[in-house]
Amino acid sequence: MNRRPTLFSLIMAMPLLVWQLAFFLFPLLFLVAISFWTVRNFQMQPDLSFANWERILSRGVFWDAYLRTIVLSTAAAVITSLIAFPASYAISFKMGEKAKRWMIFILIIPFFTSYLVRVYSLQVFLSDAGIVNAALSYIGLGPFSMLNNAFGILVGMVTLTLPLVILLQTFSMNFINRDLIEAAHNLRCGRLRTVFAVIIPSAKVGLVVAALFAFILSFGDFVSPLYLGGGNPPTLSIMITDITKSGQQWPRAAVVAIMMIVTLMTVAFSAISYAYREKGK
Amino acid sequence: MSNSVIRPNRRKLLKMTGAAALATPFLSIRASAQTTDLSMLAWYGHAEPDIVGEFEEANNVKFTPKYYTGGDNMLGLIAQSPAGTFDVVLSDGEYVQQLNAAGYIEELDPADYAFDDFFPEFQKFPGHWQDDKLFSVITRFGFLGVAYNTDAFTEEEASSYDLFADERLTGKLGHFDWHLPNLGQMSLHAGNSSPYDIDEAAWEAVKEHTMGLRRQAGGFFDYGGTFSSLNNGQMLAFAGIGDWITGTLEKSGAPVRSVIPKEGGLQWTESFSIGKGSRNQEMAKKWIQWITSPEGQAKSADMAAYPAMVPSQAGWDVLNATNPDEARRQNMVPGERNAMDMIREGLIQYRQLPIQQSLEDWNDFWSDYKGA
Amino acid sequence: MGNENRIINILLKVHIALCLLFIFAPIAGSFVFSLNSDRFPSLPLGEFSTEWYRLIWEDPLVWSGFANTLIVGLTVAVIATALGFGGAYTDFRYNFFGKSFYLALALLPPTIPVVIMGLAMLAFLSRVNLSGTTISVIIAHGVMCSPFAMAIIRLRLSQMDPDLEAASWNMGGNQWQTLRHVIIPFTKPAIFAALFITMAVSFDEFAVAWFVSGLNETLPVKILGFLQGQVSPRINAIGSLAFISSMTLIILAQLLLRNPEEPKS
Repeated sequence: MNRRPTLFSLIMAMPLLVWQLAFFLFPLLFLVAISFWTVRNFQMQPDLSFANWERILSRGVFWDAYLRTIVLSTAAAVITSLIAFPASYAISFKMGEKAKRWMIFILIIPFFTSYLVRVYSLQVFLSDAGIVNAALSYIGLGPFSMLNNAFGILVGMVTLTLPLVILLQTFSMNFINRDLIEAAHNLRCGRLRTVFAVIIPSAKVGLVVAALFAFILSFGDFVSPLYLGGGNPPTLSIMITDITKSGQQWPRAAVVAIMMIVTLMTVAFSAISYAYREKGK
Repeated sequence: MSNSVIRPNRRKLLKMTGAAALATPFLSIRASAQTTDLSMLAWYGHAEPDIVGEFEEANNVKFTPKYYTGGDNMLGLIAQSPAGTFDVVLSDGEYVQQLNAAGYIEELDPADYAFDDFFPEFQKFPGHWQDDKLFSVITRFGFLGVAYNTDAFTEEEASSYDLFADERLTGKLGHFDWHLPNLGQMSLHAGNSSPYDIDEAAWEAVKEHTMGLRRQAGGFFDYGGTFSSLNNGQMLAFAGIGDWITGTLEKSGAPVRSVIPKEGGLQWTESFSIGKGSRNQEMAKKWIQWITSPEGQAKSADMAAYPAMVPSQAGWDVLNATNPDEARRQNMVPGERNAMDMIREGLIQYRQLPIQQSLEDWNDFWSDYKGA
Repeated sequence: MGNENRIINILLKVHIALCLLFIFAPIAGSFVFSLNSDRFPSLPLGEFSTEWYRLIWEDPLVWSGFANTLIVGLTVAVIATALGFGGAYTDFRYNFFGKSFYLALALLPPTIPVVIMGLAMLAFLSRVNLSGTTISVIIAHGVMCSPFAMAIIRLRLSQMDPDLEAASWNMGGNQWQTLRHVIIPFTKPAIFAALFITMAVSFDEFAVAWFVSGLNETLPVKILGFLQGQVSPRINAIGSLAFISSMTLIILAQLLLRNPEEPKS
């Protein structure tokens, strides 16, 4: 379009850039820099050492936690997307305008209740002597171990991301051209086929972005792994807090952080280019 | 110090709540404009009304607390904050050395403080002094032992760390998520009389011994998680904690207790220091003097957030006079077999940083244990 | 077609109900525990008690935390949405040298583990004398929330027919008018969503806020403190109050913003 930046384009582009440059660049560089620092006498000293990188990347425990965290977050993203889809589908296509608006607002409410409080409350639901097990015992089902293991972590992650994923999916499905659906029906597509042939491709961007959000949020979360998973086994986020207990080892924690950032950025860029690819948008 | 938009100023609060007539106590307006603001960096609860209220009233002081959830976050925070942000700093004994090594606390004058009231063991507590200079004043301590659910086990069974390996505890042994107390207890169990001063061979033995417990471990918990797990019976025994947690739970009616096992227990200590560059050093000094006075010590022992034992002999006397039940519960009754006797008999070892290995070695092993 | 429709519709509605149950059960549970006398909630429940509400009502630091959170949240919502809008539009329309760097800088923040982010932000802000205040939290949250706004608005923009802009220009509108009369109305739902979501993210953020807010803490930092210290249903009481006030805000917004002549979107 325009070769030289117009005032308009600058006003659109610059504020975000300026803000991030002013307030984010330094912390980011600081984070990368300290991964090369060393700790002496419980204080970080500027240095240019690869010792931290060697130490972390050579420990089996790190890679175990890395793999575990990826698997857990992927599972959370997939499970949440699958659970959310029928709900978003129903909200988007089966509800009137007013009902739709109320549903969306109802789904925004959990955002404003503290995630910490919800997780703390979930403990009472999931414990061996808790509400869910008590209810199940009425039907004669034995107590299930739902806390201090991967199941608890997943429940927490889904709690964190489900409202957001439903909203984003609904959002993108709302704006699918209804004519396309009618056309599909006219061409004698059954409901299921319409979903796969028309709806999912049309809403691809939103579905992928929603799953990506879920993945990113779950990957970095330490609240669920700590309070519902009992740190058993630990994820990368817990590992970061742990490493600092080695006597102010923020440099080594920074190494783990950078590995997490690189992983997430790679996933994010791949997901986004996949999502936006065909439409050339 | 800070150009904040909102400060807990009572007149502003009145405005905010508008015309609604609220007959709540906190709305009394302070008359004097000379209130000193003291900032305190501490574990939760050290600046609550039950413990600082009296001092605040008497000295026209207002405490603004910054509560931390772990010593390392505390150190990170104070390292990156401008000097003088925190007037008084409460920390565990192990962190005093680290605070001092990095220059975050002021030197103190021993003559200012009531060390004469203290038991001899606490008058020159290691780690708080450096080259005969005083940097931190010990104010509270407690023991770590075997914490257990009284409905599941008897005191007899809990009187040894052997309990942790009991088959009834598979998946039901909780660990407080910090390497130092847990490995110290394992070291004691392995027979090391100085649990933190062990050579390579002994350290290898402790590691092996600890690994053997892995399938017992049901989880690794922080402060809040420990409370929940013990209270709802998710965990039936806990390693790495003591009465400061079980005592609080007991008072709420939970069936838990801590005992010092026959292999010995550990001791944690808390102390107050003055932050480097503080602009209220006189008042900070006054606070430390108050909390180490006999009355302050008695109050401190029964602090609402969590109970503790106190190093001041005079404090024990006041506690026995004003709150004999708590004194008895915590074994602080002079003339009977009490906590000091346990220390003198060698049953209790100080929790401290490992001496022959680096802190990282211990912590790295702890990560390995968790990830196993 | 008739019967099939109905059964599937019913199943779908049941599914929605189950989802809502899952999402709101902890919130409802928290509300119940906040009115319960037991300090550590478990079954069976104790007696009815408003003790915990009384305790937080009388705690001036909870009130200041609440005020701080509100101020930060509202400010951050506006700032982040504005910044995010600019970024989304830039990504949508322009291609330029260094665009990848621009996008990376814009989207990196959520990928950074919050504990490290907190320390790094504090390290920076204290060096420029901007730490320990409410402004510090606004700055940090501005950094962390703009990516959310940007992603949401970008999503909406991708649904826009690119010819729409061109048509507007062809009809003699300049870029500003096009922005005002075409782009913004089209992205309005996304803008509102971005406002709410960034406010919500800020409302709930405690890790970075703990580091940078110093002594002027926000409410989530307080909640973290309670959770880590004085574990008690005060946590549930604060959570319930936050829930009730946000519900009120949202219902008000719902009633005020509803446009009776809104076309079917």
